[in-house]
Amino acid sequence: MNLSKNLDDMKFDKKLKVAILPSFTLDGLDETFHVKCSEIGIRYQSYVAGYNQYNQEILNPESDFYNFSPDITFLIIDIRSLLGNYFYFPYSISSAERKSFVKEKINELENLILQFKNNSSSKLVITNFNVPSYSPNGIIETKSEFGFHEMIHEINKLLKNIAKSQNSIYTYDFNQFVSKYGEQNIFDYKQFHIGDIQIAFNYIPYFVHELMSYVKPMFGINRKCIVLDLDNTLWGGVVGEDGFDGIELGQTSNGKAFVEFQKQLLSLWQQGIILAINSKNNFDDAMKVIRNHPDMILREKHFASIKINWDDKAQNLKQIADEINIGLNSIVFFDDDKLNQERIKQEFPEVLTIEIPNDPSQYSSILTNLNDFHVLQKTEEDTKRGEMYAQQRQRKQFENTVSNLDQFLKQLDIKVKIKKSNEFLIPRISQLTLKTNQFNLTTRRYQEEEISEFSKDENFEVGCVQVLDKFGDNGITGAYIVKKNGTSWMLDTFLLSCRIIGRGVEDAMLSQILKDAKNNGVEEFKAEFIHTSKNKPAENFLSDFGFKKQDKFWIYNLNNDIKSPNHLKVEIE
Amino acid sequence: MSNDFYKIIAKVLSISESGISDESGPENIESWDSFNGLVLVDELESHFNVKFTISEITDVKNVADIKRHLKNHNVNLDE
Repeated sequence: MNLSKNLDDMKFDKKLKVAILPSFTLDGLDETFHVKCSEIGIRYQSYVAGYNQYNQEILNPESDFYNFSPDITFLIIDIRSLLGNYFYFPYSISSAERKSFVKEKINELENLILQFKNNSSSKLVITNFNVPSYSPNGIIETKSEFGFHEMIHEINKLLKNIAKSQNSIYTYDFNQFVSKYGEQNIFDYKQFHIGDIQIAFNYIPYFVHELMSYVKPMFGINRKCIVLDLDNTLWGGVVGEDGFDGIELGQTSNGKAFVEFQKQLLSLWQQGIILAINSKNNFDDAMKVIRNHPDMILREKHFASIKINWDDKAQNLKQIADEINIGLNSIVFFDDDKLNQERIKQEFPEVLTIEIPNDPSQYSSILTNLNDFHVLQKTEEDTKRGEMYAQQRQRKQFENTVSNLDQFLKQLDIKVKIKKSNEFLIPRISQLTLKTNQFNLTTRRYQEEEISEFSKDENFEVGCVQVLDKFGDNGITGAYIVKKNGTSWMLDTFLLSCRIIGRGVEDAMLSQILKDAKNNGVEEFKAEFIHTSKNKPAENFLSDFGFKKQDKFWIYNLNNDIKSPNHLKVEIE
Repeated sequence: MSNDFYKIIAKVLSISESGISDESGPENIESWDSFNGLVLVDELESHFNVKFTISEITDVKNVADIKRHLKNHNVNLDE
């Protein structure tokens, strides 16, 4: 708590404005949020509404809450204040009356959400309602016609449906939070009666940990890749010593724990998390297990990079990051060996190194407790990522067999589809602006709501590109935003996912934008290069293309020919 | 035991142990607000393995009161 007071002085490049609207006392939540944000380099500013003031704050367009203009808002209402007396006396009214009561409550909540959307562009996270374990109806609660518990389940279901249909609204499953930690721990009658505290303060840090899952992806600081050791991490024992038949995997109690862990990893892989191996071992011994062991869940095809050798683990890790082309800050490192953990922590503090107990039965819960893999929106590109990286490995192999680059590019059969922004593409375009660091001319970060605004505004042109080749679909991997001011256009954003760079896609994209400008009678076309610590790959792009620097801008003379690469096919949609 | 008692108060309220006397309370220690008061209850309960009643908690005006209630729960700080 004291720590939180000293954090304001630190200089962070990321800033977040958080509003908290609670229906009960939530002392400590604000301070804990502050500390957790600072830990990951986010400067935190907050607005905490008075106790049970959420209705007034949301319904009054002039409220202090709206004036604060938060980036994200947490609306935290407890079941007691929602149901009022019916929390205690649900069976004092008929089942029909209970139904209409629920309808009325859901209408109230829906109205709040709509008012909120009308007045604010903030993301809204609303917590759902905890279903108490107790019922005055005892064991026949489950037989009751629209009973007490069913009322709350129904409210939760309807609330979820409202959020599903709205882009920037999320429900947080508070009911599940209570079942995870236990009703008797979360709700402390003593704290409730002394201070109207409905989440016991020793559980506030766990609660904030969960809510941070929404904050991390807003800044694109979620993790994308898990780098794994093998011996005593994916299986028990040391394959080099115990042999193929001697390792523990599958049959024994320990062996089952490793299988469980691998299944959880595979499940994350299916959701787009990249897996890689970093192991000190004889390559052939280890690969034999991965390829042939009957109880192995993860196979060669699931790994985007495999480093099995006797080299330094830190060097291996750096090579993995380069090979997959992701930042070290996207990596989680999972290795049972304390020395290896220490080595990586010191060499690469930006990697999330997991501290692992000696007991493999704990691995799964450690993995599932991490809140670093969450995304606010899952695009098709995300879930196919594992597959795409496998294709990428094939492309690399193909590149090695073809002698020169031009020939390679021609044989790739690249097709570039340029698409205007629409509601299906907006989440992906926003995601690209949040995540792309290397080939990014301006590194301007835009939330979905902003991209949506630009897309509607006729003074903006928002677009993206889908890239296909003979090995498969790379998905939407580039995006641009042009700001139009009469006959002067400005390239506000221009970026390309790094796995696509160097195939002429960037030239095709810019060429199309310039042709479009020329056709629209534009007289001045300006671009910018804003230097960051990561965007060196884009540094010379504008001058190579033929832009000339004038003061702080780069200008293209539209009377010149506009070059476009001829080894790829461009389609405009 | 007495030592632990003062350590806990000092830690929760971010003050030095030497600044704590029997008369210390919400009136003369700025950081002793209602929330920290509850944190203090929680820390003392788990350290000394006792459960205070609500009236004991709301009755506390100073450190002497806490000692008295702890004694009622058979925690003798002078041992």
